[in-house]
Amino acid sequence: MNAQRALRSFRAPEEAATQERTWTVVRDAYRMREPIRRRRPRGRLLLVPAVAIVLAAVTLSPAGATVGRWIRHALGVPHAAPALFRLPAPGSVLVSGAGGTWTIAADGSSRRLGPWREASWSPHGLFVAVTRSDHVAAVDPHGTLHWALARPAARDPSWYVPTGYRVAYLSGRTLRVVAGDGTGDGLLATGVASVAPAWQPGSAYRLAYVTRSGVLVVRGADSKRIIWTAPLSGQARELTWSADGGRLLAVTDTRASLYDPSGRKVATVAALPGTPIRAASLSPDGTALALIRGSSNQDVVVLRFGSATPRARRVLSGAGLRQLAWSPDGHWLLVGWPAADQWVFVRVTGMPRIAAVSRIARQFSAHASAKDGFPRIEGWCCTTSGTAG
Amino acid sequence: MHRGPGAPLPLPSAADSLVASGPLPRTRRPRSRSERALIRGALAGSEADLEALFRAHWPRAYRAAFLIVHDHAAAEDIAQEAFVQAIRRLDRFDRRRRFAPWLGAIVANRAIDWLRARTARRESGQEPPETAAAADPPRGTYSEEVLTALAELGPEHRAVVVMRYVLEYTPGEIAQALDLPRGTVNSRLRRGLDALESRLEKAEPA
Repeated sequence: MNAQRALRSFRAPEEAATQERTWTVVRDAYRMREPIRRRRPRGRLLLVPAVAIVLAAVTLSPAGATVGRWIRHALGVPHAAPALFRLPAPGSVLVSGAGGTWTIAADGSSRRLGPWREASWSPHGLFVAVTRSDHVAAVDPHGTLHWALARPAARDPSWYVPTGYRVAYLSGRTLRVVAGDGTGDGLLATGVASVAPAWQPGSAYRLAYVTRSGVLVVRGADSKRIIWTAPLSGQARELTWSADGGRLLAVTDTRASLYDPSGRKVATVAALPGTPIRAASLSPDGTALALIRGSSNQDVVVLRFGSATPRARRVLSGAGLRQLAWSPDGHWLLVGWPAADQWVFVRVTGMPRIAAVSRIARQFSAHASAKDGFPRIEGWCCTTSGTAG
Repeated sequence: MHRGPGAPLPLPSAADSLVASGPLPRTRRPRSRSERALIRGALAGSEADLEALFRAHWPRAYRAAFLIVHDHAAAEDIAQEAFVQAIRRLDRFDRRRRFAPWLGAIVANRAIDWLRARTARRESGQEPPETAAAADPPRGTYSEEVLTALAELGPEHRAVVVMRYVLEYTPGEIAQALDLPRGTVNSRLRRGLDALESRLEKAEPA
């Protein structure tokens, strides 16, 4: 047998399937690339209308007004509201930071839940799992403590959906799981990366997490059996299951990948060189993906998977955009802009609209500077029968 | 990627729409256009030309990555990243050169890096949990023997053999792509082929 002929006749596994999967990634990268600048003679005067259009869009942008699709090269939205008077969509926003954990209701009223550094809504917004350096706990939306456990370096709590019977959290480099009433706390895994674990909604307590060596693991929390694993490319940032548990989104700085419940990769969005992915969020119905990408200047991009040819739509641009959260109805995105000390609400369905609120750090912490006091957006939850609505 | 014995969950309707991001509707492919014309078209914004270029080069790029790393999920990622990188740099590509060696060099270097990183993890005790390729087995004549024989070679030796006989580089092109002396490329080729021949002879039916 001729070795050269054997090599030439060799066919790798799943060549056709990988080709189709990769074509969608390559095509999206091609569509999202910066167009090649063609050298055309153009006078200085030609630049004036372009600048004027951008400036007009910015200066004519009162909070809540229609401003077109995006703002570029500006630090913050001018004429932002000085305080959060109301949310543009139903639900309640949860934030944490140096000033503790707060809930903000749809009417703009806010409530401090305590000196917690990280938080996570329970499935129906009736409780909040919270952590600080030495404790993990559950409180209600009034801030009343229901249970607490002393654990070193506790962070990234996550509540099982839809029953709330389990809470997963990180403690140092370990992943632990406790029952929703604070009992039965136990170790699930060691050598875990600093990425919040994510429960598969409706599953038999299956939990996704990332190891320190960059491997995505889906594991039964009660059985402790590993269901499947997959290596991740790049530095892991975020894990999210779609609300129906049918898709797992794994985000690294270089790509956002969607997996089905058996671990098969069904879609990937690759970051272009020099435009790392900073944050990503799957819409509540799982049909759209919002990304913040870019190095010095960032874009907020929404990809919709509903059609055969998903297109990326840029909805906001600016320097220092960092966090994302979808409204429960999937119509709005809340974008954190620490560099501008603003929250920006961007309507991503129907007519594009932008509403901005300034002085966020001051509202939710004693720190006057955004650098120290800008809170982390933990989630924008469902309406509840309690105070969350 | 390891799949457990549990049956996959049924996919509810909301998730089904995500599947649409997979295969695309067929597009008309340009008929026997030269590689240069396809690159020119892709640079001018023609998605059809880009698709033709991609489909012409994907199988070999993925195959080469798989033969070097022996992990189909990693090979897919490596070849995919190589294509994305190539698309980004397409405007800088010297159109007098062939596209395949340019792309292949990116694939081979990434595959070697991946293997080195995996070895480093293993040495530092950070080996990830067991992963098992659950994909269809490779096809072709003596595919298992080919894989076994290649596995006995080091990453660099393996890459040289794959670049020569799968990507069809010349030894000079391999030397340039991997930044190796020409003599080293030739000796690695010889050693790699000998190992393969010996393995395949054993597998030959009497």
